Amino acid sequence: MSAIAGTASRGQARRRRIDGWRWSGRIFLVFILLYTALPMIWMLITSIKSGFAAMQFPPQWWPDQPTLASYQKLLDPQNSVGQDFLRFFWNSLFVSTATTILSVIVAVPAAYAFSRFTFPGRNFLFFAVLLRNMFPAVIFLVPLFILMRAIGLVNTHGSLILTYLTFGLPLAIWLLKGFYDNIPVQLEQAARIDGATRFQAFVLIVMPLSAPGIIATAIYSFIGAWNEYIYAYTFLSKNEQLTLPVGIQRFFSENTTDFPGLMAASFMMSVPVVVLFLVLQRYFVRALTEGAVKH
Amino acid sequence: MTRISFGRAVLHGTVSTALMVSLMSGSALGAPVDLSKWSPEYVRSIAGTQDFDTAGDCAKVTPLDYKGRLTFWYQGVFEGDPDLLRQYYKEFFENFRKTYPNIQLEEQALTYNDLLDKFRTALLGNAAPMAVRLQILGGTEFASKGYLQPLKPEDVGYSTEDFWPGAMKAVTWEGTTYGIPTNNETMAFIWNADIFKRAGLDPDKAPATWDDVVKYSKQIHDKLGVAGYGLVARKNAGNTPYRFMPQLWAYGGGVFDEASANPTYKEVQLNSPQSKTALQASYDMYVRDKSVPVSALTNQQADNQPLFLAGQLGMMISHPSDYNVMLDLQKKATATDKDKAQTVIDNMRYGLIPTGPDGKRAVVFGGSNIHILKPEYVEGGKVDEPAAKAIICMWTSPEWSLKMAYAGSNPGNLNGFKTKWMKERLDSIKFLDVTTSMLPYGIPFPALPQSPEIMNIIVPDMLQNALTGAMTVDQAADDAAKKVKELMDGGL
Repeated sequence: MSAIAGTASRGQARRRRIDGWRWSGRIFLVFILLYTALPMIWMLITSIKSGFAAMQFPPQWWPDQPTLASYQKLLDPQNSVGQDFLRFFWNSLFVSTATTILSVIVAVPAAYAFSRFTFPGRNFLFFAVLLRNMFPAVIFLVPLFILMRAIGLVNTHGSLILTYLTFGLPLAIWLLKGFYDNIPVQLEQAARIDGATRFQAFVLIVMPLSAPGIIATAIYSFIGAWNEYIYAYTFLSKNEQLTLPVGIQRFFSENTTDFPGLMAASFMMSVPVVVLFLVLQRYFVRALTEGAVKH
Repeated sequence: MTRISFGRAVLHGTVSTALMVSLMSGSALGAPVDLSKWSPEYVRSIAGTQDFDTAGDCAKVTPLDYKGRLTFWYQGVFEGDPDLLRQYYKEFFENFRKTYPNIQLEEQALTYNDLLDKFRTALLGNAAPMAVRLQILGGTEFASKGYLQPLKPEDVGYSTEDFWPGAMKAVTWEGTTYGIPTNNETMAFIWNADIFKRAGLDPDKAPATWDDVVKYSKQIHDKLGVAGYGLVARKNAGNTPYRFMPQLWAYGGGVFDEASANPTYKEVQLNSPQSKTALQASYDMYVRDKSVPVSALTNQQADNQPLFLAGQLGMMISHPSDYNVMLDLQKKATATDKDKAQTVIDNMRYGLIPTGPDGKRAVVFGGSNIHILKPEYVEGGKVDEPAAKAIICMWTSPEWSLKMAYAGSNPGNLNGFKTKWMKERLDSIKFLDVTTSMLPYGIPFPALPQSPEIMNIIVPDMLQNALTGAMTVDQAADDAAKKVKELMDGGL
């Protein structure tokens, strides 16, 4: 009886210890959640305040009279602010989408080649693609600007797309190569035995299996291009070509800042990325885990 | 603080300060606007006394049917700026296109803190615009490097005497003029009367000296727990020198001898005992008394403004534009916020910037200039000079140099003070008398190519080194003086 009681109390103690860990984990997760979500929530709340309410101290945790004036201003194509914002939004969308598509088109075969083919200098080349990412972006700012000027791309979206590819491609190639390494080569060999060409085996067998990796690569490229500031700021000087990260600077002036306008623009800027991530997150997580584990 | 007392202060100031003499060159005394009579009363007496035909005047420079193309960058006005000012900027470009329908204008507005860096990068790639409007610090830097074409007021139909002599210094390099002032500004001191009252200070009296500022700041902080003075020390932001240099000059210090009547810029004075006393005052407020915003090291004026409007800051150096910004915010506030905003407006007081211990009052003579680039640095390798002169003539005209500075500055062309819009401005902008009263106390930044580096980097660095405790006040001042000397000797 006492042995049973002893076992039960040891079990209870273990459960308490487990519960303790579990609760610590939960508290930690709540803390992390608050840490990441609160700035977003505050951004949203500030965006529905008036300019004066946004400057109050102690702050209005919820505005006395919420207003959507900042959003109306940004989305109204009739006024200059709305016209500019919608143009910047479209420009960002165009640059990011083009970068993403080109990045995938180049990274998919490049990563496949690194994964499947043996050729002289393969390892050197594979590590060489990372060289560009080993230096701070700002080091390349003036040289790239002069290069873009020489090839006539300053003040074009092409300059940004080309530059973003130089940043995004190495990472995309590395990510996808890890993914292809995990796809058994025997599947392709079976397809080849069944009469498929190498290209058909790649398109019909490998690519569908690597869809999560391709999607993850696309998300990476898109987010990188969508948020990039310093190159867009340097290469573009015409209002009609600016992208959102540069365009939203217009809410800062020499002596004052339009906080509700800035927060509304920032919130709307984050929407495409959040939506993209929410819709495709399962692929994203799969790509990260599957690409990381060797079969 | 009444208008009469400002007038007296200015009259005393104009007589007593040698600086005024430096701003009023002999040639200026015979100018259409008589700078020797400068006072709020004089400004009121000339406002609205003359009409100008801008299109007619500019047609003599560039025919109105001229066909051409112009690329143009300028420090723009954006969402946070007063509505009135944004409206005038919009009208200017509409008006230019109407006046010169055959000039294809490609204008680009840039923010205050970005313009110089972006312009420098563009110059490196020979991708600069044909014309540019830069803050006052930029003129000599780019002229000395050979990027700018000679350009003087006479080239666009005006006379050099139509502009402040101090402003003309800022666009002159080795005897040649490389630009035309568009607007000139001096700031004033602003305080919250309610905070002053609750802290036991006279709500209608600005601190007379910078020593008083230190004392008032401590008293406000100790009694109310809010920041007393809006110290700013952010690096690479024009706001910092605009707020620290008046203090430095008032104590008798300086980077060189720029505060003297005939500056030579030969001897570095950043580590003089007077300069160290000025730095010590900032140290006392930030470190000893903790009476200024703790974020002062990264603050600029745009960060002080919300604090002031929320009643968390007692006093600061400010533009008249703050008053207009507040009016806009009040207009757009909702429900009970409208009344709160009105209370803030009612409690705003403007006064002259405090003096040093010897009664010396000083303020940065700020503003902007407009320039034409040399073709080899311009995208496409060509500059359409008639088109550039057309826009420069319009912007620097009495009419537009006044309108484009309506809420935040003063016209670069002195004849702007004679227009009907100046009269309208004096009636509608409550504190304008104060900032125009400060103009004669204005000291231009040293007209040296190294000035942007000194003012935007070395001076804020000195403040940060002292305020963070990385160095003592003496060490920080000595270090800054050494850096200025090395820079002037061609180092750094």
